[in-house]
Amino acid sequence: MALWGMVIDLDRCTGCQACVVACKAENNVPPVGAKEAVRGRIISWMQVLTEEDEEHDGEVKRFVPRPCLQCDDPPCTKVCPVYATYRNPEGIVAQIYARCIGCRFCMAACPYNAKYFNWHRYQKEAPGQNPDVSLRPKGVVEKCTFCHHRLQKARERALAERRELAPGEYVTACAEVCPARAIVFGDLSDPGSEVHRLARSPRAFRLLEALGTKPKVIYLSEGEGRG
Amino acid sequence: MKWVGVIGVVAVALLTWGFWWGEPAVKQPIEYPHKTHVEQLKLPCTGCHQRAEKDNVAGRPPTALCLACHAGGETKSEEVKKIRAFGEKGQEIPWKRVWRLPSHVFFSHRTHVAVANVKCQTCHGPMETLARPPARPLKTLAMNNCIGCHEQWERPNEKGAGVVKTGARHVSTDCNTCHH
Ligand code: SF4
Ligand code: SF4
Repeated sequence: MALWGMVIDLDRCTGCQACVVACKAENNVPPVGAKEAVRGRIISWMQVLTEEDEEHDGEVKRFVPRPCLQCDDPPCTKVCPVYATYRNPEGIVAQIYARCIGCRFCMAACPYNAKYFNWHRYQKEAPGQNPDVSLRPKGVVEKCTFCHHRLQKARERALAERRELAPGEYVTACAEVCPARAIVFGDLSDPGSEVHRLARSPRAFRLLEALGTKPKVIYLSEGEGRG
Repeated sequence: MKWVGVIGVVAVALLTWGFWWGEPAVKQPIEYPHKTHVEQLKLPCTGCHQRAEKDNVAGRPPTALCLACHAGGETKSEEVKKIRAFGEKGQEIPWKRVWRLPSHVFFSHRTHVAVANVKCQTCHGPMETLARPPARPLKTLAMNNCIGCHEQWERPNEKGAGVVKTGARHVSTDCNTCHH
């Protein structure tokens, strides 16, 4: 059984935000409008966080693209009273909108602020949306799903052609679009995969590792730094 | 006076019950008889719904496919004349969609028809008995209908009682398999 994971090389990330835009387009992530935005209700499954440089005042030290980290021991799923968010057998932390009652316990439990609430029904079905991703109704929580609809499609294709899923057949939109190739996606349990190799790099670290959430989004720190 | 009002509201609610809560009836452009084609002529469902074995959706037949049989010769049938009229104008028959799964469901006809060999009637009901197009789906599908097969790796026997094994392939019941 696969264990899907992602490696993000902070040395390569230029902060261009192509991943942010690709994610929004791929997953029908709604614009919430100016009024909602000032209330802090912006929805962005992928977000490029910035860290300031203490030594160089007012400069950005690094960009940290932050999707849902798909924790292998996720705190968010443990508090859901209705099993609307859960860790699936392949390690994807799923979000089942039709089941969610909107209590937002999971949002409070996520240490990475990776979950978002739909305060309104932000969009109607319209041309230009991705038909493979459903629109979220009002009152449910959403987050990055590792583009699992792409896995559904890839697996369906493999099944019809009576073969196994090939490596590289399923990647997330952010990994696909990154012009700097800073995001690598794949099967962490496959010893031949690039993510498996990179995750073992001495530069590898995980966000808030001490919490024991075991994120499956693994970062590679900057090699050289700046003088 | 108050009571008259209350009774009036209740009466209107009862009279319009089905109207407001039922699904609207679908009227097809052609009075297509499934019975003639499937039961009498023994055509397979996938003969007309050709995308069922290749695609996520089963699809409705294009005009050219109907005309492959109905183009030549004299006809008394008004319906066949209508098809020919669509053909002459180079138009597709504006078939209306009857079956619709919720938009958050990922369902592939290809997997179910070509890989799992589930009979169309398992989900769609006895379509071969219809002399007219159905105004509504013959069955109301709920998630339990999907889970029923997936959990047991078997499907209900369309002839009534009992189940048929769909084979040893593991059928996933993970929510993410179908929900997106
Ligand atoms: S908001 Fe939805 S997914 Fe989150 S804990 Fe509540 S019911 Fe579960
Ligand atoms: S990053 Fe947050 S939302 Fe994602 S799995 Fe971990 S706790 Fe849950």
